[in-house]
Amino acid sequence: MKRATRVLMATALLGALVVPTAQAQDKTELRVWTLDAFGDTVQQAWDETIAAFEEANPTIDVVLEGRAVDAHKDALRVAAGTSEEPDIYFMWAGQGLGGEFVDLGVAAPLDDAYAELGWNDRFTGPSLAKTQYADSQYGVPYTNHAMAVYYRKDLFEKAGITEVPTTYDELIAANDKLLAAGIQPIAFGGKDRWHVMRLTDSLMEAVCGAEKHDALKFLQADWSTEACATAAYTELDRWNKAGYLGDNFMGIGYQDAQGLWFTGDAAMMIEGDWMVNQLVDAGQDLENYAIFPFPTGTDRMYFFAEMNYPSASSEQLDAAISFLDYFSSDEVQQKYLGQFGSIAVNKNVTYPEDTRPLDAWWVDLFNSSTAVYEPADQAFPLDVNTEYWRIEDGVLTGDIAPADAAAQMQAFIDNRP
Amino acid sequence: MTRPVTIPPPTSRPPIWRGPTLGRFTSWTFLVPAVVIYALFALFPMVDGLWLSFFDWDGVSADRHWVGLENYAQIFTQDPVFWRAVQNSLIWVGLSLVIPTVIGLAFAVALDQKLRGRNAFRAALYLPAIIAAIAVATIWTWMYNPIFGLVNATLEALGLEWLIQDWLGDPDLAILSIFVAYVWQATGAAMVLFLAGLQNVPVELKEAARVDGANHRQVFRAVTFPALMPTFIVVTVLSIISSLKVFDLIYGMTLGGPAQSTQVLALWSYTLSFQLHDYGNGMAVAMVLLVITLAIVIPYYAWMGRRDEA
Repeated sequence: MKRATRVLMATALLGALVVPTAQAQDKTELRVWTLDAFGDTVQQAWDETIAAFEEANPTIDVVLEGRAVDAHKDALRVAAGTSEEPDIYFMWAGQGLGGEFVDLGVAAPLDDAYAELGWNDRFTGPSLAKTQYADSQYGVPYTNHAMAVYYRKDLFEKAGITEVPTTYDELIAANDKLLAAGIQPIAFGGKDRWHVMRLTDSLMEAVCGAEKHDALKFLQADWSTEACATAAYTELDRWNKAGYLGDNFMGIGYQDAQGLWFTGDAAMMIEGDWMVNQLVDAGQDLENYAIFPFPTGTDRMYFFAEMNYPSASSEQLDAAISFLDYFSSDEVQQKYLGQFGSIAVNKNVTYPEDTRPLDAWWVDLFNSSTAVYEPADQAFPLDVNTEYWRIEDGVLTGDIAPADAAAQMQAFIDNRP
Repeated sequence: MTRPVTIPPPTSRPPIWRGPTLGRFTSWTFLVPAVVIYALFALFPMVDGLWLSFFDWDGVSADRHWVGLENYAQIFTQDPVFWRAVQNSLIWVGLSLVIPTVIGLAFAVALDQKLRGRNAFRAALYLPAIIAAIAVATIWTWMYNPIFGLVNATLEALGLEWLIQDWLGDPDLAILSIFVAYVWQATGAAMVLFLAGLQNVPVELKEAARVDGANHRQVFRAVTFPALMPTFIVVTVLSIISSLKVFDLIYGMTLGGPAQSTQVLALWSYTLSFQLHDYGNGMAVAMVLLVITLAIVIPYYAWMGRRDEA
């Protein structure tokens, strides 16, 4: 091959490498970490929103990475403080999860963005309240979620339950009727500790009441001397020993428990507003499902907020804020109403008259609730929550006697540095 | 009369390397890359981990607070999981030294015989050893699923419902259930090592023993077993190493649950450091694991050294 030809080919090859690199350098890559467990409906909303944002902002490429719940938490904990940190990450609000990363300095304070972009006038009250942590605002509301008891109408009918339980005693009576009809009352995946936590939290609220429950959760009361704490663990043990939770639930995960419920092997699950879309994605008949609040007697909603947090170390912080501004805008939130969750974080959306009955139920609950209580993994510091789960597991497996559970919890709290 | 043949004495061959001879310097030169890598990826993390165990650090902040031996005091006296993790780790080591070794030896002796399909059996039994631990964890988690899994379904099909358990959900059974998966994976490697060892057993000794009237068991006890001692040493050392660092199987199958009943030192150190952001306590647990490892390995190597000298 002639020398000139070789030189020409080398130049062309070099150009082919350099030019796309140069073009790529003009584009900002925005890495967003979220969950992949929400289903097709949510994924579609994300994909379309990203596509529209990229079209309006051709110099920004939004790269979405999804992981399962625990894998997402683990990945973020490992990436925190390294160059692998994403530009935006999903996290549940509250001291135990979102607050953990704020304390680590991972989340960027957004007081200026809230003031300049009018976000304080955009979001609903409970959503906005969750952005306040320590002395600043962190995260942009992604969803509001509440949890309650979903039940299968066909199985309630089979068991002869004609009225929805409105008191704790009525719920116990319903459990007994279901058992008598050969139906597992409620499904839990014990391997996923946050799943059984929903029952423990509900029992704490029902047995202790609002004031004492808050005092225990915010470490202002002594678990070892507060009698209701032991009483709540005793109730947890009772649910297990009575067979309400089914056999071998500690060896299955959340997905397996959901499978039991979808196939009619269990009557109830404690789930959130997101379950409406998941029922649709699973091909379930929405007419067969209904919801009632776990009868705690306190009229408080079991509530948590999810946020998208821009990282403090992001080199694309302005782009991240711009994306979240678009994501939470009236236009996007109205267009995808009901897809991210039944309850919108944006207070300017209007709910259509043909809202699905299950979604409408959640909106009504949200609008009528004046007080909330949080899941333990958001209320507690991380280490305390880990111990809370260990003790919850211990009571359910018989490793820890209910009478000793609260004392062990307090011992751990006392020994914290 | 034939003339005697004189066989000339062997002459020393010239050295293959015809360049300049550097002696010991050459040896060290070749060792340097390995030493550098070992220092960087093994020694430095050990020393840094030891240093970190005296601090309170969340893994992200620029500040680390000196706390001296407080982390050690905390894990020994106040950590509700630590002693369970120690117990599980020691039980795991003990069982690992016996069960996969004995089963691996039995398979090797059986498959050292001339059998039809011997190679296929060897391959099938070794196959689990080349599967990634996390994949083994996934396989066995599915098998142990109390509702849909193969184990309980098989027991039910055989009319053995009374044996059905929540294999990974019962704190009394979970660690042993995970150990079964470990045995499934580890036995093949032990078998292969013993098979190699069996090839070095002098055939003439075995034949001589048989001529003297020894049966199979007596031949094994008197000839084969003693000849396998070097292989036993290798298998023992490898078992100790792999059992002390067990992590991925337990992480994949139970995450240390239920109720932290399957925690071992390696996983608890990881949990404290990377999940609870308590690097000081996490490194303290890691140092305890290091001390336990040294306490097992150093006497063992000393005994081996005395044995070789004898």
